[in-house]
Amino acid sequence: MLGRSVRGASVGIEGSNARVKTDINGRFILQAPIGASLVFDADNYQTSLATVTGQPLGDIVMLSSSMGETIVLKGDVPPPAPGAAQLDRTELQRVPGTGGDIVRALTVMPGVVNLQIPLGYSGVVIRGASPQDSKVLIDGFEVPVLFHSIGFRAVTPAETIATLDFIPGGFDVAFGRASSGIVSLTTRSGGDKRAGQAEVSFIDGGLIAQGPIGKDTEYLFAVRRSTIDFVLPALIPDSVDLSLTTVPRYWDEQFRIDHKLNRRWKLRLSSLGTDDIFELVASKQEDAKDKRFFNRTRFLRNTLAAKYHEGEWTADMGLSLLLQEFVFELGSSQYIRNTLTSVTPRVEVTRAMPKALGLTDVVWRTGGEVQVGRYGIDLALPVEPREGEPMPEMDSDDVSTLFDGTIYTPDFVAWTAMSANLDPKLRVTTGLRADFFGRARQLALQPRGEIQYKLSKPWTLRLASGVYHRPPQFQSELLQKDLKSEQSRQTIVGLQYEPREGIRTQVSGYYTDRTSLISRPAPVADGMTQFDPSLVNNGRGTTFGGELLATYRGGPWFGWLSYSYSKSTRVDAPGQPNRLFSFDQPHSMNLAVSWKKGKWTLGGRFQLYSGLPFTPALGSVFDSDRNIHIPIYADANSDRAPIHHQLDLRVDRSWKAGPVKLTGFIDVQNVYMNTSVVTYFYNYDFTQRAAFKSLPIIPSIGLRGEL
Amino acid sequence: MRKLLLLVLVGCGGDLDQPWDLDHDRIVAIRAEPAGIVSGETSRLDGLLAGKGVATSEREPIQVIVTSPQSLAEALSMDADGYLVTAPDEARLDAARTELGLDAGAPVPLQLGVAFTPELVGIKTIRLGMTSLNPALGAMQIDGAEAPAPGTEIVIGIEVDVPVSIETLDTDEVNWLTSCGEMHDFDLPSGYIRVEDEVDTSFMGELAVVLRDDNGGVTWQVWPIRAE
Repeated sequence: MLGRSVRGASVGIEGSNARVKTDINGRFILQAPIGASLVFDADNYQTSLATVTGQPLGDIVMLSSSMGETIVLKGDVPPPAPGAAQLDRTELQRVPGTGGDIVRALTVMPGVVNLQIPLGYSGVVIRGASPQDSKVLIDGFEVPVLFHSIGFRAVTPAETIATLDFIPGGFDVAFGRASSGIVSLTTRSGGDKRAGQAEVSFIDGGLIAQGPIGKDTEYLFAVRRSTIDFVLPALIPDSVDLSLTTVPRYWDEQFRIDHKLNRRWKLRLSSLGTDDIFELVASKQEDAKDKRFFNRTRFLRNTLAAKYHEGEWTADMGLSLLLQEFVFELGSSQYIRNTLTSVTPRVEVTRAMPKALGLTDVVWRTGGEVQVGRYGIDLALPVEPREGEPMPEMDSDDVSTLFDGTIYTPDFVAWTAMSANLDPKLRVTTGLRADFFGRARQLALQPRGEIQYKLSKPWTLRLASGVYHRPPQFQSELLQKDLKSEQSRQTIVGLQYEPREGIRTQVSGYYTDRTSLISRPAPVADGMTQFDPSLVNNGRGTTFGGELLATYRGGPWFGWLSYSYSKSTRVDAPGQPNRLFSFDQPHSMNLAVSWKKGKWTLGGRFQLYSGLPFTPALGSVFDSDRNIHIPIYADANSDRAPIHHQLDLRVDRSWKAGPVKLTGFIDVQNVYMNTSVVTYFYNYDFTQRAAFKSLPIIPSIGLRGEL
Repeated sequence: MRKLLLLVLVGCGGDLDQPWDLDHDRIVAIRAEPAGIVSGETSRLDGLLAGKGVATSEREPIQVIVTSPQSLAEALSMDADGYLVTAPDEARLDAARTELGLDAGAPVPLQLGVAFTPELVGIKTIRLGMTSLNPALGAMQIDGAEAPAPGTEIVIGIEVDVPVSIETLDTDEVNWLTSCGEMHDFDLPSGYIRVEDEVDTSFMGELAVVLRDDNGGVTWQVWPIRAE
């Protein structure tokens, strides 16, 4: 158990006088209608809320008023889909080897591809699907970038997050535009006590301020800046031909204001923004234009949300604006300058009824969303390699993809779903999502459903199945108007075992069939037809696997064991061979244990996972006029990097210095210095290759102060 | 791109032969003399080759084939001195332009597959229908002095940056290559050589400069070099 049960907390139904107190184990009994909001109050804790849905209520998390680490856990909220898992803020920060970071904490989840360094992608690879096939949401809205371009830190600090929901598949109709999984982060409100926090490490440092404004308003403000840019220039040896004309650095900001308008209405205004910039010249001559690299990525998402609740009815409304800029310049002729303005209004209405249509615990939801994006794209680049295509030769003069214009992506979606108990052991959810992707004028109907069956007291069987679409919206996909969405059909079966409070084991198996994958036209092997760089919905793929997740929360202990087996393959065009998916990782295992007592928290994490496939080069042909070597590759992904294992350790200690609570931590990754191969890279003419190895040991030291 | 950046930042690649390295089996450049020809003119092929532990050499290819367009395969022939290309008449060139989707009067790129050994294979393109000469090397400075004549030994210091530079047009591409020490900014008009006093450092070798223009023209110069 991470915290302790709260005895004597007051539990009431919002809008009524009914109140009870929790017992010594933090338990309570209270008659409440489905849809009612429960309010939890206790001395020295922030107020917590929960909604009665007909599902088991699960644990109520109460944060201490001083933003301490005390969290009450007395069971577990049922996962939103078989195989799904949830981590709260304290657990996120306690997982060793993550430096308290959300992104790295994600790697403990079964089904997430693990890699020593996340080379070549900036999202999450879930269940054998490309990073762009899964979505990362913060407070229900998509964020375009999950982590900063240096340091591999999440764009939002863990201290501002309440929970992280990981849904690797079989997700609800309210989630869309993804054909694999969902990572949903929920930020926390500011609480009713004024507090501040500062943290600094070698990677970054930040400030968080929170508290009430009057009786009905709370605020939380966080800002963070990289610190690694202060040290980085000193780490680069003089012998390296490099001019850091703009030292890599990042900023991120977050604020959230919650206001209770009356007993029915709550409002929230929130903002999340990042700004990463990086410029270098691969020469000591700063004016060497041909050797310049520049990258700037920044986005700002502002959201206004409202929640209405009255009796059986609940409505969630939101209006979100996303402003994004991505600039990448390489040498004197290759560049992409991309801006995106996106407006997303959304509404969802829920009616929760104890009985309806002869069924019990009925929850009906319906919603709609409009997402209108305006892309300004100016680019001059080589043909972008698709997943599975090996890296082409580096030709700094190649600008075979040219575009300068504006693209609109007006997308509309409506969904409805109903959950109900058919009998006390059987609960069924069925729903339909309809996306209309305006650019391609495509209507995508996506039926989804789930059956939960309680076999006997500790056992629950779950079966989920559905259709999922991911629209073309990444890089070169946007340049072709005729491309349709990629589709997946997912089937997941899960078995959940909860022998007693604090212990949960879930096993799941899944099969995903992917169609209409965006790939190249089938090559014509007549020796005359040249490579066709256009894109078509030609590809197919399958992924199957099994996952195990066992968690233990009891006393000072927190334990986490996850294992996944997966096989993911692709066929790029009809008649082409079945090949391994580029992020295929058959085995991945994580064992994390954490112990907390008094001022000390100790933790360890052991990871073992397969290396990723790669395409070996067989040689090259020298193009004398272009002065480049054109590689000749073996079959796509026909070789694999070796298995990797490492041990990470973390120690936290807290103490008081006057009114300030200080916490220092040391988080050491790869303590026994296993430097295994991440991937291979080749010399200029592809006659030699060298291993890109994981870093032998990565210590992270930080200090956090709370007021 | 993230991968590329990491490689740059962590300085990987130290164990691999670098693109400026002449101590490596490779084709440095393939030359057609002249680079572009009009109907009836001929162009001859040769190349600059480097090898592991051996000096560079200018050699004729052992085999050449036309890879594109196949309709101009007869432009390639062989005589006692090696392979040569003869630009066909305008009617044949016009037909090739149509085949390749080129504008009227545009130069026709004749792409050749060129082998110097069974392992060292390259591609060379000759422009047919236009006259184009290989570029001339501009003024060069080595270690602060005017570059010596080809073949003249250059002596440089150890553990000092020895600057090299050449005057070029903006459209030219230059490569400095060596088998003695390390070349820095090898692909810029001005770079420098540095020889470290280490066990595995070669103190004798060659220095070469290769200049390419944007019409497929190429020229080079090679000097023996010694560090002391």
